[in-house]
Amino acid sequence: MTSMVADGNRDGQSLVLEGVDPETCMIVFKNHWAQVVKILEKHDPLRSNVGGLGGGHGLGGGGGIGSFRFGPIPGDEASAVQNYVEHMLFLLMEEECGQNGAMGPILEFVVMENVLERLFIWSLRREFTDDMKIEQLKMYEMLIGQARQPLLHHKPVLKPLMMLLSSCSGSPSGPSSSTVETELVLLLNQLCCVLAKDPSVLELFFHTSEDQGAANFLIFSLLIPFIHREGLVGQQARDALLLIMALSAENNVVAKHIAENTYFCPVLATGLSGLYSSLPTKLDVPSEEWHCLHREDWQQLPALVQFLNSLEFCNAVIQVAHPSIRNQLVGYIHNGFLVPVLAPALHKLTLEEVMTTTAYLDLFIRSVSEPALLHTFLSFILLHRHDSVHILDTLVSRINTPFQLGTVSLALFRTLIGLYCEDVMLQLIFKYLIPCNHMMLSQRRVLRERDCYSVSAGKFLALTPSCCSPDIIPPPLRKLDSILWSKVTDDFHTGTIESKEVLSEEDDCGNSCVIGSEIYLDVSYLHYLYDAQNGIRHCMRACRVWSAPYDGENPPPEEYQRSTLEEAGRTRQPIASRKTPNQMHCSGPPLKDLTATPRMLELEWDDSYDACPTQLHPEEDQETRPIPEEPPKHIQELRRTAIMIVKGSYIEESEFQNDVMVYDLVAQKDANDSGSNYHVSSRPTEAAEQEVLDGPVTDQKTTNSESSMRNGLSSSVNEMDRQKRGSQSDHKSMSPEGEDLMAQYEELIRTLGAQPGSPAKADSELKSPTDLMNDEEDEIDFNSFSPETPEAETSLSPFGTKPRSGSKGHSVPFTGPFVSVLLSRLENMASNALHVNLLLTGILAQLASYPQPLLRSFLLNTNMVFQPSVRSLYQVLASVKNQIEQWSANNKDFPELLTAAQHCLLVRESSLRDSQSPQTGDWLHGSEAERIKNNQIQPKTVVPLNKTEVYATVLFTEFLKELAAIAQEHSILSHFPTDQ
Amino acid sequence: MDSNKRSDAEEQSGPGEQRASPARPPFGKKQLPSIPKNAIPITKAASPASSTQSANGTHASYGPFYLEYSLLAEFTLVIKQKLPGIYVQPSYRSALMWFGVIFIRHGLYQDGVFKFTVYIPDNYPDGDCPRVVFDTPVFHPLVDPVSGELDVRRAFTKWRRNHNHIWQVLMYARTIFYKINTMDPLNPEAAVLYEKDIQLYKSKVVDSVKLCNSHLFDQPKIDDPYAISFSPWNPAVHEEAKEKMFAHKRRPDDYNKGLPVSGLSWVKPGSTQPFSKEDNPLQT
Repeated sequence: MTSMVADGNRDGQSLVLEGVDPETCMIVFKNHWAQVVKILEKHDPLRSNVGGLGGGHGLGGGGGIGSFRFGPIPGDEASAVQNYVEHMLFLLMEEECGQNGAMGPILEFVVMENVLERLFIWSLRREFTDDMKIEQLKMYEMLIGQARQPLLHHKPVLKPLMMLLSSCSGSPSGPSSSTVETELVLLLNQLCCVLAKDPSVLELFFHTSEDQGAANFLIFSLLIPFIHREGLVGQQARDALLLIMALSAENNVVAKHIAENTYFCPVLATGLSGLYSSLPTKLDVPSEEWHCLHREDWQQLPALVQFLNSLEFCNAVIQVAHPSIRNQLVGYIHNGFLVPVLAPALHKLTLEEVMTTTAYLDLFIRSVSEPALLHTFLSFILLHRHDSVHILDTLVSRINTPFQLGTVSLALFRTLIGLYCEDVMLQLIFKYLIPCNHMMLSQRRVLRERDCYSVSAGKFLALTPSCCSPDIIPPPLRKLDSILWSKVTDDFHTGTIESKEVLSEEDDCGNSCVIGSEIYLDVSYLHYLYDAQNGIRHCMRACRVWSAPYDGENPPPEEYQRSTLEEAGRTRQPIASRKTPNQMHCSGPPLKDLTATPRMLELEWDDSYDACPTQLHPEEDQETRPIPEEPPKHIQELRRTAIMIVKGSYIEESEFQNDVMVYDLVAQKDANDSGSNYHVSSRPTEAAEQEVLDGPVTDQKTTNSESSMRNGLSSSVNEMDRQKRGSQSDHKSMSPEGEDLMAQYEELIRTLGAQPGSPAKADSELKSPTDLMNDEEDEIDFNSFSPETPEAETSLSPFGTKPRSGSKGHSVPFTGPFVSVLLSRLENMASNALHVNLLLTGILAQLASYPQPLLRSFLLNTNMVFQPSVRSLYQVLASVKNQIEQWSANNKDFPELLTAAQHCLLVRESSLRDSQSPQTGDWLHGSEAERIKNNQIQPKTVVPLNKTEVYATVLFTEFLKELAAIAQEHSILSHFPTDQ
Repeated sequence: MDSNKRSDAEEQSGPGEQRASPARPPFGKKQLPSIPKNAIPITKAASPASSTQSANGTHASYGPFYLEYSLLAEFTLVIKQKLPGIYVQPSYRSALMWFGVIFIRHGLYQDGVFKFTVYIPDNYPDGDCPRVVFDTPVFHPLVDPVSGELDVRRAFTKWRRNHNHIWQVLMYARTIFYKINTMDPLNPEAAVLYEKDIQLYKSKVVDSVKLCNSHLFDQPKIDDPYAISFSPWNPAVHEEAKEKMFAHKRRPDDYNKGLPVSGLSWVKPGSTQPFSKEDNPLQT
C-alpha cells in the first residue's frame, strides 16, 4: 500500500484509491504522522523533556541530546520525514469531502494536529535554504492544485502558507533565486485562481494577514514586484494580478485595500516611465519611407516589447479593475508617465528624438484599447500644455516639418483620426466648422443635402489629368482591369435605344431597362466603391456614440460663432494664463516680425494683412497703441515652418528655445534643398501665367497658392492677425484675464463709442465682429446666387476679394490648422514623396468617410460656396491638377513614365501585401494588387522614386476615384446609420 | 369636363412621348425581352447605361455609376419616406426597373392589392418622369385599360432634377385610389361612370379589385429574382418571417447594445468642449 501510494505520488499521477477503505487511509496517515512527529520532536529546540527520546537534562544540558536539538539534522532523518510527508500529502489530496461539505477525517486530523504549520517550522528548523523553500512551495502548489476538498478555508492550512509566503517575500539574504521566484509566482498564480473561483477565501486571506501583524493582502503585495518582469514569470504574475483586479471590481474591500494601502498603481505607472527610459531615444530608421512602428519593427526591440507588455497590462487592469483602482491608475499614468516623461520627450532637442517619441506615442495609442486609458492618452494630447502650448498644437504644427518628423506626425494623426473619437475630431476640425463661418450664409441649408445625382463625384473625376484619362490612353493595366459592358444578348438587342425601338417588337413599352453600349467600366472603381461603403458604414456605426450630429444645426452655429473668434486664444483657458506678463511685454511682437520680413514675402503670403494697410495704420498711429499679444505658439510654429519653407532659410526667433535645434536641422536641410523646393512651388505661377483661363483654377488662386505652405501660412497669419487685433483691444480696455476675447472686444467697442475723443473711424471699423460677419455674409449671400461653384468664387478679381478679407480682419474664416496643414501639404503633392502622399490621401479619405454633414459637405460637396479665404479640398485638387497638366505638357516622356510608374506601384502593392499587416492608408486599392499579382506584371522600367511628379500623378488619379466613390456612397448611405 | 379629355391626353404626349411610349402592345404574358437572360454583370446592381453622359465633363465610363447611384439614392429616399402601403424593390438586372405593390386600405378600392412596375428612363434624372404600369389594368380613370399604365405625366409635366423624386411618383400612384380624378382620363369609361353612375362604377371597381386579387398568386410577369411574388400563407415558411418582422420594431435598441461600439466620445451633449462629460476618470 505504501509503496503504491509512493509510486503514485512520484509519478505525479493521481492514483485511484477507489476501493481503499477511507479508514485504512486514515490509519496510514496517522502512522506516518506519528513517525514524523518523532523526528520533529527529537530536533525541536523549544521542547524540553517531553521528547520521545526524553533525556532529563535541561536545555543547556549534555551534548548528545543537545546536539540532536540544535545541531544539524541528519540526512536520513530529513529524507524520512520527506518521504512520510509525501505519502501523507497524497492521502490528503485524494480525500473526498465529508458529508455536507464537512472536512474529511484526514483533513480534520491535519487541522487538529496543526500538521502543516509544524511541517513549516520543521523546514525552518532545518536550514531554510532555497531548496527548502522550493520544497514547501511545491507542496502547497500540489495541495492547492489537486486537493479534492477546499483547504484554504482552514486556518491551520492557511497560516503556515502565509508564513511561507512571508518568508519568501522578505528574505533578508537578498533576492531569492530565480527558481524560488518561479515557484513562488506559480503558487501565487494558483492561489489567485482559487480566489477567483471562490471569493469567500478572500476574507480569510485578509484576516490571516492581520494575524501576522500586517494588514496587507500578502498575495497581492508579493506579486507587485513581478509586474514588469520579463518572460514567463512576469506573465504569470500579471495574469494573477489581473485575477485579483477582476475580483476587486466586485469586492470593495479588495479595491479599497489596493487603492489605499498598496503601491500597485504607482508601481505600475512609474514602471512605465522606467521602461520608457530604457527605450532607444533614436530609432534606426530602415528607410526614408518609414513612418510608423509596425509589429516587425518593435519586435526587434526587446525594451519596446517589454514596455508594450506593461502597457498592455495597464490596459487589462483598467479593463477589469474596480473603478477606484482604474481611476487611480489612469491618474498615475497621466501624472507619472505622460506628463513628466512623454511630454518632455516630445519636446526633445533633436529631430530624430522628437520623431522617435512621436512614433512611440503613435504605437502606444495603437496598442491601447481600453477607453479609460485612451481617454488618458487623448486628454494628454488634447489638453495638456507643455510650455503653455497644447501637445496637439505642437503635433499639428509638425505635420508641416519636412522629412520624417512630418511623416511620422502624419502617421500619428492617421491613428488619431482612426479612433473615431469625437473629442479628437472636435479639437482638430469640428470646432472650426461648427460656427459655419467657413461657408456662405446661404449655404447652411444645403449643408445636409445629399448629392443625389453624384454631381460631386463627377466633379472630382473630372479633375482627372488629361494624361491619365482612360478615354485618351487606356494604359495596358486599365484594359486588364476593365470589363466591357456590352449587351450580352446576341439575339434581340444589338444597339442603342433607337435601334431597339426599331427592331424589337418585344420592346413593348419602350422601356430601355438594359442598354448595351460599349463602355469600358473601370473595375477598380467598383473596388473603391466597395471600400468606401465599408469605410462609411464603419464610421457611422462608430460615431453613434457621439454627442451631436454636427449637421450645422446641432451644435447650433449661432451659439458658437464667437468661439471661432476666441479660437485664436484657445477657448478653453484665459489668454493671459498662457503667457507670463513678462512675455507679453517684451516678446518681439509678431507684427514686428512680419514687418521686418521683406515686403515681397508678405505680399505673397498675407493678402489679408497686406491688402488693407490704410486701415491698419490709423490704429497703429493711435497714441495708445497697445502691445499686441503673441499669437498662440502653435500658430507661431506654423508660421515659422512656413517661413522656412518659403524662404528656404531659417529665421531664428529668440523666444523658441525648445525646438530650436529641431528646426535648425530642418533649416540646414531645407537650405540645401531650397533651390529645388522653391522651384517646385513657383511652378504653378508660371502655369497660371500661361493658362490663366484654362482649367478650374483661376489666376487668383494660383497666385495665392504660390507655395505649398501658403495655405497654412496665410491661415496662420490671418489667425494671428485676428488674435492681434483682439488683444489690442483687450489690452487697452481691461485686464486680459477672465473674460473671453469676445466680451473684451465688445467692451472695448462700448468704451470707444463712449469716448468723445476717440476717432469715429475706429468706431465704424471696429464694429462688432458678428455684425461685420453678418454684413459680410449678406453681401456675399447676394453674390452667391450667380456663381454656384467654388471656381466662380475664386475667380473674383483680386481687387474684389482682397479689401474684403482685409476689412473683416479678425473674423477671417478659418477651418483650423489641421485642415490647413493637410491641404497645403496636399497641394504640394507633385513634389511630395510617394509615402507622404499615401499618408495624406489616406487621412483625407478617412476624414471624408466621416458622416457628419459639416465635414462631409466641407470636403466632398463641390457645389458648396465657401468664404473666399477658405480653401476647399476641391480647390486644392484643382490646383494639383493644373500643376500636373503643366508638368505633363512640358515633359514628352510623361506618358511612358506614367505607365511604368503604375506598374511599379502595383508591384509595390503586392509586395506590401505579402509582407505586412494591412494598415489603412498604405493601400491604394488592395484587390487591384491581387489581380496584378495573378497577372504577374513586372515593371518594365523602374521609375525612380524621386520622380515624385510621376508617382503623384498616378496617386492623384486614384485619389480622385477614391473621393468620388466616397461621395457616391455617402449619397446612398446617409439614411441607414444603423443598417448592417 | 368630359369633352376635352381625349384631346388633352394627346396633347400631353409631347415630342418625347413618341420615343418613350410607342403604341402599346398588349402586355399579355410576354416578358420584357430587354432583359438579357445571360447577363452576368460584375455587380448584380450595376446597371448599364448608354449615355455617354459628359454632362459633368467626366469620362463616359463613369456614366453608369452616376446613374446607378442616382437611382440608389432615389431608392433610399423612398425607404425614408415610409410610404404607407407601398413596397418597391429594384429589379435584379436593372436599377431602371422597380417592382412594386400597393395595398389599398380603405375607400373605393379597399382591399386592393395592385402590383406594378416602375420604369425609369435611362437618362434619369434629366429625362421624362418615370412610368408606372400596373400588372393588371385596374379599373380607374387614370389607368390605361389595355396597358395598365398610370398617367403619371399629368402630375409631373416636367421632371425636374432635385425637385422631383421617385417617391413622389409612388405617392401619386397611391393617391389616385383615394382621390379619384376624372380629368383627361386614360380610361374614359371609368371617368364617365364615376361622374354619371357611381354605383356601377363601384361595382366595376369591386370586380376589378377581385380580378387583381385573383391573380395575386400568379407568377410574376417579369422573370426576375427580385420580382415581387405572392404565395398563400404557409406557416412553415412564413411564420418565422412574420415573427421577425414584428420583432424588428424592438430591434434597434438591442441591436445597438450588442454591437461593439468602436467610437469614442467624452463630449457632454450640448457642449463643444472635449472631455466635458462628468464621468471622466479622475485626472488628479
